[in-house]
This record gives sequence, structure tokens and C-alpha cells, in this order.
Amino acid sequence: MNNSLASVGYRTYYVWLRNAVSYRRFILPTFIASIGEPLLYLVAIGIGLGSYLGAIDGMPYLTFIAPGLVVSAVMFTSAFECTYSSMVRMTIEKVYNAQLATPVSAEEIVAGEILWGMTRGAVSGIIMLIMLAIFGLAHSPWIAAYPILWIAVGFLFSSLSMVITSFARNFDFFTYYFQLFISPMFFFSGIFFPLDRFPPAVKTISLFLPLTYAVDASRALMQGNMGWQLMIDTLALLIPGFILFVYALHRMKKRIIK
Amino acid sequence: MIIEVDNLVKKFGDLTAVDGISFSVERGTCVGLLGPNGAGKSSTVRVLQCISPATSGSARVLGIEASLAARQIRARIGVVPQDNDLDGDLSVWDNMTVFARFFDIPRKIARERIEAQLSFMGLADRRKSRIDELSGGMRRRLLIARALINDPMLLILDEPTTGLDPQMRHVIWQQLRGLKGRGLTMVLTTHYMEEAQQLCDSVIIMDKGRILRIGEPLALVKELVGDEVIEVRNHVNAAEIERALGGLEYGMETFGDTVYITHMDVAAVMARVTASQMHAILRRPATLEDVFLKLTGRGLNE
Ligand SMILES: Nc1ncnc2c1ncn2[C@@H]1O[C@H](COP(=O)(O)OP(=O)(O)OP(=O)(O)O)[C@@H](O)[C@H]1O
Ligand SMILES: [Mg+2]
Repeated sequence: MNNSLASVGYRTYYVWLRNAVSYRRFILPTFIASIGEPLLYLVAIGIGLGSYLGAIDGMPYLTFIAPGLVVSAVMFTSAFECTYSSMVRMTIEKVYNAQLATPVSAEEIVAGEILWGMTRGAVSGIIMLIMLAIFGLAHSPWIAAYPILWIAVGFLFSSLSMVITSFARNFDFFTYYFQLFISPMFFFSGIFFPLDRFPPAVKTISLFLPLTYAVDASRALMQGNMGWQLMIDTLALLIPGFILFVYALHRMKKRIIK
Repeated sequence: MIIEVDNLVKKFGDLTAVDGISFSVERGTCVGLLGPNGAGKSSTVRVLQCISPATSGSARVLGIEASLAARQIRARIGVVPQDNDLDGDLSVWDNMTVFARFFDIPRKIARERIEAQLSFMGLADRRKSRIDELSGGMRRRLLIARALINDPMLLILDEPTTGLDPQMRHVIWQQLRGLKGRGLTMVLTTHYMEEAQQLCDSVIIMDKGRILRIGEPLALVKELVGDEVIEVRNHVNAAEIERALGGLEYGMETFGDTVYITHMDVAAVMARVTASQMHAILRRPATLEDVFLKLTGRGLNE
């Protein structure tokens, strides 16, 4: 495993760069999509549903859910990029094959893909935050610390998704991942309801969902409640993220090299 | 020696794709790997490329033992893969520039080389095209141009002309001969015996993971087949031909409805077969294809 990490060098950036060059063509369409989705949540759930729910934890519903959306957007985008998009590059476009024939190592290909998943995730996070700012929901000075959170969330979900891709025989496999893991996480990680209002069993489960810590940290940043919990949240993302990262390198290498 | 392979074995699970082969490639020469489908040609060159680990044995490329860790080898060789892996998301130009980055080629030098390679391959006016807008022949030439981006010491081509029309094949042969003229060492796999005869100083004929023969194309033809071949089609039976040729020295092989007569005094044999009123007789020069079929068998053998 140490070996895998040692093979990750600066050429990781070249793999990232390849994706960035290819992404240039899609900036506009993905940008529009990235604005559309948050708008949907903000308007339909926040304003529509929120007007029935009233205040939660002493704040308007929209204010309550906003922090969660800033991190769940990162999760969804990173997860999508490192499953469907990576699989297309690997199996259909044979991008990894071409890269393998150069001084780039298999580990750098995987690390570059994860770095790219993090980048796409961060872009979604930024767009969501801008939307919230437009709705007047982001004014704490602590939002300047968001990049750290985006990196942690993107790192974890990109690495996890890469591990999933290393096991995937076909694209259907990803449907299970999203329906059985990612989407439930979206609903049970305290974005839409405070965790203490869940039944104890659900609350216990939610403690094992990484997004829970991201939502908690995001809420702290947005409301300016800085404290030890923020450290714990960040570590709760970075430590499993690192383990999954190393595992993804190992698994994907086995899949790429024959 | 640019390549030295010693008792190389490559297994995929239980399947042995390469079964203990040894050969070497001298600087400045072109060596062809020939063999039926599944013979293990691609498996062999993928080990040389350092993208597939050998199961046992050794392969030294540019004096370094080939392994996944051998980035120095990958940095100094060029590869045209059997399956097109050009980047469909990028333009022709971006394919080349992105690839140049993988080799740490400074931008300015990369730009000059890309210009030169694209015009050498006749693609200078397609730089803005997407890959799916190129014809099969253009894609293959772009793959060759891409393989040359790092100014390699060794070029490995896995079936560089499969699926191309005869014109395009000849164009590519011209270009490869040009590269060889500049002293580039080449290893190529092919199913076209004419290609091997046109380009290769020496050929390695493989089947089922093993090497059957290594030699110069013309010498192999002379040794194993002779100068000319006489084909007799729709023959009544081989015994009748043997009767007609009684007393002469020759080699004979039957496949389907055809008898192939080799290694002979052509004039004498021709006189006998015409005299015996056999028809559908074809007299032609012997080729590497005869050698190949003789060694690997004429029937389906996969
Ligand atoms: N990745 C792989 N996994 C399992 N088996 C493989 C793999 N690659 C090749 N093989 C097997 O190894 C054997 C040799 O294949 P290889 O591709 O080296 O042959 P080849 O001589 O290049 O054939 P062709 O002329 O059809 O390209 C075949 O039986 C093939 O099925
Ligand atoms: Mg092959």
C-alpha cells in the first residue's frame, strides 16, 4: 500500500489537466445544470415546503437547509464524476490505456481522476454558495473556510466512488450505489431535519454517514459557530477519505493493469 | 541491443498467452512479430511497453529490465496500440499537446514537434478536427504521429495498418520506411505478410505463445518454400500428381481443393504438369505468406 502512494507524483496534475482540457467544451452546459438544481431545492423545498414547516431550531427552514446543500452538491458531483464519467473514460474512451503508455503511472491516473472529481465537486459547491448568497443566506465571514470543507468532502466521495468503480462490471452497478447509498445519505444526514428529531436508530445510523459530518461542519461555518466539533467533523471526513484513497489506488491499479 | 527477451512467459489466470519466448532486436532494425489471432503478439509487445507485467522470464528494453515501474522505458519509446485509444473528447491538436505533457515535453518544443509530426503524417490541416471526424486512415496516422511526440528510440506498432485500404497502407509503409531510414528501431506486429516483407529486416513467426521461426523474410522463403510455388486446383487426387512428377524432387502440401508444390526445379515440374493435362495451374513466386501458412497451418487453428 505504501508503494501505491509512492507512485503518485506530479504527473497526477497532467491527468487532471487532460480532464480540464476536455471539460472546456462542457463548461456552459454543466454550469447551467449546476445552477438549475440548487434553484429547484431552494425554491421548491425551501420556500414551498418551508412555508408550511415554519422555523426549525429557531431559524427559517431555508436557512436551516442551506448549509447542507452546499456540501451535498459537492458529494453528488464528485460521486458522479468518479463513477459514470471515470468508467466512460476507462472502458469506452480508453483514456487510461493511452495514459498508461506514457511515463504516467497507474496510480497517478487514479489520483488524477480523484483530484478532478474533487475539482468538479468544488465547482458545484461554489455555485451553490453563490446562489445562497444571492438569496441572502450566506453572510458569515467563516464562509471563507469553505474550500477546506469542499476539499475534504470531495476527497472522501471521489475516493469512495473510485473504489466503487473498481468493482463495477457495468454501469448498472452505479445505480445501486446512488440509490442505496448516496441518495439515502442525502436524506439522513441532517440536511432537512435536525438529527435529534430522528428516532434513535436512525440517528445512530446517521453517525456512520460521512455526509452527516459535512453538514454539521457546513452549518457551523454558515452560522459562525466555530468550535472543536468543526475539527472532529473535518477529521471524520479526511481520515476515511485517506483510507479510501489508498484503497482506490490499489484496487483500480489491479483493474487497469493486466 | 535495443530489446533482449529471454524465456518470457505471460499468463492471464490459467491461460498462457506467451509461453517462454526469447529474441533480440538490434538498434536501427525493424523486427516483425507474425502469428495467427491469439498467438500472443500483443501480449508480448505490452510487456515490452511496460504496461503489462511479465509472469516470468526477462525482457530488457533499452538496457533496462521492463516492469511497471520502468517509467524511463516508457519515456523513451513510442507506441501505436492495436485498438485506437485517441482521446475522443479532444481535438487533434489537443490530443497531441495533452500527450506531450505526459512526457514532460516543454510547451515550445512540443508545439514545434507537433507541427512537424502532423505535417509529416499529412494531418496539418486537420488540427481542429475532433477524432470522430477523422477517417480510419487519418486516425491511424495520428496514432503514429502521437507515438513520435517524445522522439522515441524505439517505436512499437501493433497492427499499424489493419482495416485500412491499400492506398492508405502504402502511404503508411512509405512513412514507416522514412522513419526507419532515420535510424529508428521498430517492432511491429502484422497480419499482412507483404507488410512484413516490405518493412522488416527480420520476422518472428509465433503461434500459441511460442516462437516457430526467426529469420530474414527472403531467407525464410528460400529455405522453407523455394523460389516459386505451383498451385494445382481442383486436382483429382494427390496420388495422380505424385505419379506425374515421379522421379523429380519436390515438396508438396494439400489443403482443401488445392495442391501446393514447392522446392523444385520449376521448369521440369511445369513440363510434367502441363503434359499430364492437369488444369487450373498457377505458377507464382513464393512469398512469406507461404512460409507463414506452412509453419502455422492452413486450417483454422484458434
Ligand atoms: N487481458 C487479457 N485477459 C485475459 N486473456 C487475455 C488478455 N489479453 C489477451 N488474452 C489472451 O491471450 C492470448 C493471446 O492474445 P494476444 O492479444 O496477445 O494475441 P495476438 O497475437 O495479439 O492476437 P491478434 O492477432 O488477434 O491481435 C489470447 O488467447 C487472448 O485471449
Ligand atoms: Mg494483437
